[in-house]
Amino acid sequence: MEKNRTPVIEVRDVRRTFRSPKKGDGWKGALGLLLRPEFQTTEALKGVSFTIEPGAFIGLIGANGAGKTTLLKILSGLIPPTSGEARVLGYEPFRRPMDFRRRIALVMGQKAQLWWDLPAIDAFDLLRAIYEIPPAVYRERLHTLAELLDVERHLRTQIRRLSLGERMKMELIGALIHWPGVVFLDEPTIGLDVLAAHKLREFLRVFNQREKATILLTSHNMDDIERLCSRVLILREGELIYDGTPRGLTRSGECRLKVRLMHVPAIEELARIAGVAQDAVEIRQKEDEDGAGAQFVYFTIQRRQIVPVLQALMSSGQIIEMGIEEQSLESVIQRLYGAEAAGAARPVAPG
Amino acid sequence: MIKTAWRLAALKNGFQDAIAYRIEFLFEILGAAFVPAAIQWVLWYALFRIGGAERVAGMTYGDMVQYTLTSLLFTQIRGGDNDFELAEMVRSGQLSNYLLRPVGVVEFVYIRGVAPKLMLAGICLLLGSGVGLFFGLSPLRMAAGMLLALVGNVIHYQVGAALATTAFLWEESYAVLMVKNLIVSLLSGELIPLNLFPASLQWIWKSTPFYLYVFGPTQVALGRWSCATFAGHLAIACAWMLFGWMLIRVTWGMGIKRYSSIGG
Amino acid sequence: MRIRRYLEIYRVQIKNNWVREAVYRANFLTAIMVDLVWIGVEFSLFSVIYANTDELAGWTRSQTYFFLGMFFASDALFTTLFQRNFWNFSDLVNKGELDILLTKPVHPLFLSLSRWINLTAVFNIFLGLAIVIRYAHSAGFEGGWRWLLVAFWLLMGLFVQILLRFAFSIWIFWTERSFALSRLYYQFYAFATKPDRLFPRMIRYLVLTALPFAFIGSVPARALLHGLEWDEFFRLLLVLAAFYALNAFLWRRGLKRYQSASS
Repeated sequence: MEKNRTPVIEVRDVRRTFRSPKKGDGWKGALGLLLRPEFQTTEALKGVSFTIEPGAFIGLIGANGAGKTTLLKILSGLIPPTSGEARVLGYEPFRRPMDFRRRIALVMGQKAQLWWDLPAIDAFDLLRAIYEIPPAVYRERLHTLAELLDVERHLRTQIRRLSLGERMKMELIGALIHWPGVVFLDEPTIGLDVLAAHKLREFLRVFNQREKATILLTSHNMDDIERLCSRVLILREGELIYDGTPRGLTRSGECRLKVRLMHVPAIEELARIAGVAQDAVEIRQKEDEDGAGAQFVYFTIQRRQIVPVLQALMSSGQIIEMGIEEQSLESVIQRLYGAEAAGAARPVAPG
Repeated sequence: MIKTAWRLAALKNGFQDAIAYRIEFLFEILGAAFVPAAIQWVLWYALFRIGGAERVAGMTYGDMVQYTLTSLLFTQIRGGDNDFELAEMVRSGQLSNYLLRPVGVVEFVYIRGVAPKLMLAGICLLLGSGVGLFFGLSPLRMAAGMLLALVGNVIHYQVGAALATTAFLWEESYAVLMVKNLIVSLLSGELIPLNLFPASLQWIWKSTPFYLYVFGPTQVALGRWSCATFAGHLAIACAWMLFGWMLIRVTWGMGIKRYSSIGG
Repeated sequence: MRIRRYLEIYRVQIKNNWVREAVYRANFLTAIMVDLVWIGVEFSLFSVIYANTDELAGWTRSQTYFFLGMFFASDALFTTLFQRNFWNFSDLVNKGELDILLTKPVHPLFLSLSRWINLTAVFNIFLGLAIVIRYAHSAGFEGGWRWLLVAFWLLMGLFVQILLRFAFSIWIFWTERSFALSRLYYQFYAFATKPDRLFPRMIRYLVLTALPFAFIGSVPARALLHGLEWDEFFRLLLVLAAFYALNAFLWRRGLKRYQSASS
């Protein structure tokens, strides 16, 4: 990573808490709200720090309620951090100076920015006026974007009559027509079918490479992250638990060995027999085709360890079934989300 | 008897809603009570105090003020915007969710919406009887007026619900319902006592059920209608209610047929 | 050039409303229907009253109708330019529209309040003016250069409506269901439909200060027919300034609240 360039986004120990009224159920709850409203304080972000270089494509992931959207809102200036400091393009986002607003874009997959009762081209025309884009430049950009996304023939259709995928493409054009330096994308592929999501991803990749815009993207879709992002930030309950390459999560040469045993001992015992660390072993209940439950043991190990582990297991008990699974990002992340109870999260590797 | 369960649940739901949004509820009462009264007062003040009239349409300033204050109690019971809610459900396609349930949607929306009105009716009746007793008005007459006002509330909803079926035909029936409300505001007697109408135009308000909402109950409560007249108008009200019921059956039958054939 | 940019945005909004109107023609037509019936009801109410008397607080029938025309034209002006925008004002918070608007390099209120323009309601402005012209002579309006004053007072009425409507709408930041307040606005609006001379002292004071609905049609009509005292001009300015300050204050506080409650 080039360290000589000044970072475009700097986040230092950002915290965000908010208050919401607590409401009970039924009569008592309604009455309580009437007489004595109680509030509960929630910590959405608990001290998050990172920096992002210009032109980077960053993936921000985490379970629902992990604080992704809160972070995007802070970075785009919608809400202030409760404490800590955030800087985007050298500005303090929450002051929302005009120059800052001209150079960022925020796309929320679940919220439309374009007015649906208009044809896309008229909605874009309004954005042209808002951002004062010279007509010639505007036409050229619109042409480029519409061609890249393959929506030229839909420009004159009322947006509400478009399919979800086409609508999202229009939203993206609307967000990029002023050529922002930083783009925040909140779940852009949510609800899209495989093909539409793929097209959108291709477009984002090309746009990032050509225009050197910094893109910060949140998504639940690991395909998005794997194919686009050079770096991933993982949030869990308001804390940054991973910051590094997607590949760093799935260490090279690593795979998952799946074994079904006649008799399943405790995890500690299994780890001792196989000669691996305890957190590389996992026992899962799985339903087979007949609907009968069976316990599978998973070992996350290097390829060359497969044979020794199997030999060790066979010497101590009977193996009914076995298989090898590729280590997918999806499964790594899933385990990472759920890992807290087991206390087996991997340490933060500073990217 | 089994079917009372959902009706009670809907009613309870409506009460809870009214409590949860208590500030809005209070504002609504405030607006609905204060403003029409003030406007009426303005007119009487201008006519009698500034204009110096003795009697208008046989009524003195005192009669007018008495009418205004009493009509307030019944103006509270009038209406509700549940017909707008029905129209919105049709327009947005939310109606489909209700069609799957074993519950009459028109009735469900009414019961849920009527809860705060019932609460108000109780309060107004107590208030009216208490204050009225002091001025020598019979609580029994007050209760009779309230009964008529509640029947009026049903009729008002029936008319609105029937008109809301225009939403099946056009995208919005907002305008239709608004126009109805405007006409109601003039012909229900919440703005002026209807006997102020010139004799040649009295037939206008007599040919709609709207006078049963405010004007009728007020006349009953103030003892300006005899028992026989009240009974007559109650019978008319019941006839309107029956008519409204049939009207809803027909219009909603047609509407839903159209709705499901389009595949709403 | 900030003003030029805002003018350009407004031009595009008007153009876009033309585009929209082609799609939603029926709705726009029904919207003026409502206003027509409404003004009809107001006229009927006064004709019922005037069937029983010749003069109401010194206002003849013609003068009252002249006032109704002024009021209706001013109201239609508001309907044309702002009505629907305020109607949808709660979407700002409830549907999170404000999030997107805040990231745009223009004032978020400008964008949301210039969005809908009801071009068909222009018809009602002319209808209101037609009523004014019809009754101008019999009401004793002197005409001539004073017709320019009509334009001035119409704009004043529009401005007062914006300030008032805003003061009633802004509470969405504090109550999720602001429609009750919107309704309250329309209920108070009934005060605007009567000449303020009719009002008893207390209410009259109220509609000229804290709830200045009299400035929409009644004070303009009175100014045109009889002229205003200097202290009334002064009071008008004072009330306008106070409402402007109140609105600005509430907007800032509301925004702050919005931002601290959001996660």
